[in-house]
Amino acid sequence: MKLSTRHPIRLLTAVPLCDGHDSAINTINQELIQHGFEVIYMGYHRSAEAIVRAAIQEDVVAIGISSYNGGHIEFFREIVHLLKKNKRPDIGVFGGGGGTITPDDVKIMVKDGVDAIYLAGTSFDYILNDLTKRYSKKCSKGQSLAELLTQTENGETFPAPAKGNTKVIGITGPGGAGKTTLIDEWVRGALIDQPELSIGILSHDPSSVSRGGLLGDRASMIYCEDDRVFIRSMATRGQQGGLSIATEDCLKWMTSKKAGFDIVFIETVGTGQEALPFSSDLIDHKVLVLHPEYGARLQLQKILMLDCADTVVLNKSDWSGAARALQEIKEQSKTSNIFTTHACQHNDKGVKLLRKEWLS
Amino acid sequence: MSHLKSIINSVTDYNSYVDEYVREARKDEQVSQRLLEQWKSISESIPQTKTPTGIDIPRLALPHLDEAGSIARYLYGEGLPGEFPYVSSIYKEMYLEPDDFNPTTEEPTRLFAGLGTAKDTNKRFHFLTKNQQSHRLSTAFDGPTLYGMDSDTAGVFGKIGEGGVAIDTVEDMEQLFDGFDLSAATTSVSMTINGPAPTIMAMFIAAAKRRFGEKVVAKLRGTVQADILKEIQGQNEVLFSTGASLRFLLDMMEYSTKHMPKWYPVSISGYHISQAGASPVQQAAYTLSNGFAYAEMMQQRGLNINDFAPRFSFFFDCGMDLEFLSLTRVCRKLWAIAMRDVFQGDSRSQKLKVHTQTSGRSLIAAEFENNLTRTTTELMMAYMNATNSSHSNSADEPFTTPSEKYVRLASHSQSILLEESGLFRHMMNTLSGSYGMKVLDKKLEQAILDEFTEIDRLGGVIGAMDQRYQRSQIQSSAHTYEKQIAEGKRRIIGWNRYISQEEQVTPKLVRISDKKKQKQIDRLQKFKEKNARKAKKVLKKLCKVVHNNGNVFEELISTVEVCSLGQITDCLQTEVGKFRPMI
Repeated sequence: MKLSTRHPIRLLTAVPLCDGHDSAINTINQELIQHGFEVIYMGYHRSAEAIVRAAIQEDVVAIGISSYNGGHIEFFREIVHLLKKNKRPDIGVFGGGGGTITPDDVKIMVKDGVDAIYLAGTSFDYILNDLTKRYSKKCSKGQSLAELLTQTENGETFPAPAKGNTKVIGITGPGGAGKTTLIDEWVRGALIDQPELSIGILSHDPSSVSRGGLLGDRASMIYCEDDRVFIRSMATRGQQGGLSIATEDCLKWMTSKKAGFDIVFIETVGTGQEALPFSSDLIDHKVLVLHPEYGARLQLQKILMLDCADTVVLNKSDWSGAARALQEIKEQSKTSNIFTTHACQHNDKGVKLLRKEWLS
Repeated sequence: MSHLKSIINSVTDYNSYVDEYVREARKDEQVSQRLLEQWKSISESIPQTKTPTGIDIPRLALPHLDEAGSIARYLYGEGLPGEFPYVSSIYKEMYLEPDDFNPTTEEPTRLFAGLGTAKDTNKRFHFLTKNQQSHRLSTAFDGPTLYGMDSDTAGVFGKIGEGGVAIDTVEDMEQLFDGFDLSAATTSVSMTINGPAPTIMAMFIAAAKRRFGEKVVAKLRGTVQADILKEIQGQNEVLFSTGASLRFLLDMMEYSTKHMPKWYPVSISGYHISQAGASPVQQAAYTLSNGFAYAEMMQQRGLNINDFAPRFSFFFDCGMDLEFLSLTRVCRKLWAIAMRDVFQGDSRSQKLKVHTQTSGRSLIAAEFENNLTRTTTELMMAYMNATNSSHSNSADEPFTTPSEKYVRLASHSQSILLEESGLFRHMMNTLSGSYGMKVLDKKLEQAILDEFTEIDRLGGVIGAMDQRYQRSQIQSSAHTYEKQIAEGKRRIIGWNRYISQEEQVTPKLVRISDKKKQKQIDRLQKFKEKNARKAKKVLKKLCKVVHNNGNVFEELISTVEVCSLGQITDCLQTEVGKFRPMI
């Protein structure tokens, strides 16, 4: 199968509220990625409201829903309705599931505005071809922040937008350090403490050799599911070092007056020892997140980011070896601004301190 | 520290011990003589019976052995039914027709049901148990209940009562088991609920107390699934962060261990791991290791292994793959050795009790009546593995909550195998220990131990889980399975082979009307209105217990008197945080 588009097709997939059946969608996601799609995957048990908010922020061409335990007619209807209500009826909706969706249901759902339902037994090839046919020609033209980001990511150039009053925090570190959880826990408390605060997040995941990519950070960022938080997932699209070639230009939009965010997080992919992803002077504060098992001291010496990070966070501080790791980080890093956190712990004290630090 | 390493060692040691004993039996004249005599006396002690056509047969089929080494291997490597290491069965005469020697028999049928409101499901329970001497009620809950949400939460309307029963309050719970005597020894209740298990279980106890008085608690029989580890690994119904989820679960298990001697506090489940795509070996390895993890955590709370392990029950999936011919046999052996040699459990703790359900994933929408054959094939393997109880899926399940017609046929497939056919009725081990089974026993045992080694390397069950190990393994097997079907390497009749050209018939669908859904919402809102003032107060008290590290479950038993499921979930989530899903 050949893709006819220049840029990967961006889709958002999810499993509806009160449904945890993710086996089928995981398989479909894998197939999509292998065939060059970029898939923003939201995971399971997601509300129609959250799915539509995400789809609009991500400016995807279509939403795919995998539904297994009933109530699909109402759920898809709600998705279509919310897209219309939010003035994005151009975003497509497709779906599938087990035999619980019957051919008679499909007739109703299509009448409600769903593009296609792939019934149990539809082959991968058919689905992939059909999605390509339906969605490859769509291109973003609008002037909303989300649409401008798409155009920028796809290589269009714009005059630099007027700069807003935005603080930019760059978060990097090896895979598994807990960067995403750290941001989510930070945001959770910040939304409570600061009722006016608006937050932008630019989150990166690697592209695969197929040019496709699974962008899955949204699935675990449950507390970022809020109208005051704008998340944009980006694939690296072949760029090494933790970010995408379009990151810098996208960041200009994210920090613009038009976007109006108070604070923007930019999260890199899981990086290696030599990575120095934050060369841009758009980033105010560079943060390196590590966990206690980064290896022997020798390896720590080689982590270049230790030389230029403004803050080092030792996450997963509940692990054995955390104290030793902290000692070594203190010896090796240039900055003395070092925090220990246990981000997956509700109300973690370390994250609370970081909140204070970055909100000041 | 995980016990898995010691468990692997104890199994290896046990196998060497058996090998050593076999060698000794062959070398040492005295040992040999003793074994031959023991074998003779065992053979002679087996009661006889007659087939309906008049042939005399023993009630236990023994292999024909006349050499001490083989006798030693059989008696210690496999064990007689009901004897360590329980490979063929944990009881002596599972489903055999009762006789003078053994007047009771296992009645394994336990059918899972749940649809619409509590009233609807209650009616279905009465329909299902009409001809059963014992009332084994197995409850399926709808999506909102499984996720700890109230029926009036925004966005869940379409899901109310679909695929299971909607339970919002203790009053719904009273209705659910109306007409059944929960204090009777012949009634047992099973509830398939996990994330909100402590709240739902508290409602069950509170409702039972309302109907039968305080003293009923010690008499309640049954089980609640509650296995949160497999939820994080496979089924995805988790409400609170991992640590908090485990704490609430253990609070509940501790309570029922101390106050409910007839209750099985957790049903450690491989079914959902398997349905999420795991291979048979993965199902067994992850489920057993989860079971060991629970045992370890209970011991850490200072509980005695023999007070809780005998009341652990397991729940396995049985699909069409060859491995299912031996899977439960191997699990019984591994559990028995680990319990005896690592956990120091007595013989009751060593016996792995298993409920088996046929595979929902193996059911196919195309020419769906073929599902009757699939389910029967799977049931047959489950009985060959001496499962203690079983659920057979209905053929129309790819489309709908089962209709009465197909539920009845599914139930009858069990009766036909156990009562009508002679296969499991007259003689124990009729099919047990075949050449193929034994080949599989060995292969599966090694493969499961290899999985244990990997989990241990990653820091034990919780450590591996934090690193997504079980999830990624399950997902990769699921992908392989789907690929095999798509490429025709895994043959599915009517699907990728012998596809029918005729128009496909869809069975009659069981769907819940909007009117009924609205009725459930009205009922809930009335309850909330009535208890609004009291609810605020008891929720505050609940928070305090969470803060002060008290037993949250004990508190929940009174909280549910005036609070709905959703109110309690919201309160606890604010206290301890929501679960951040893993993909």
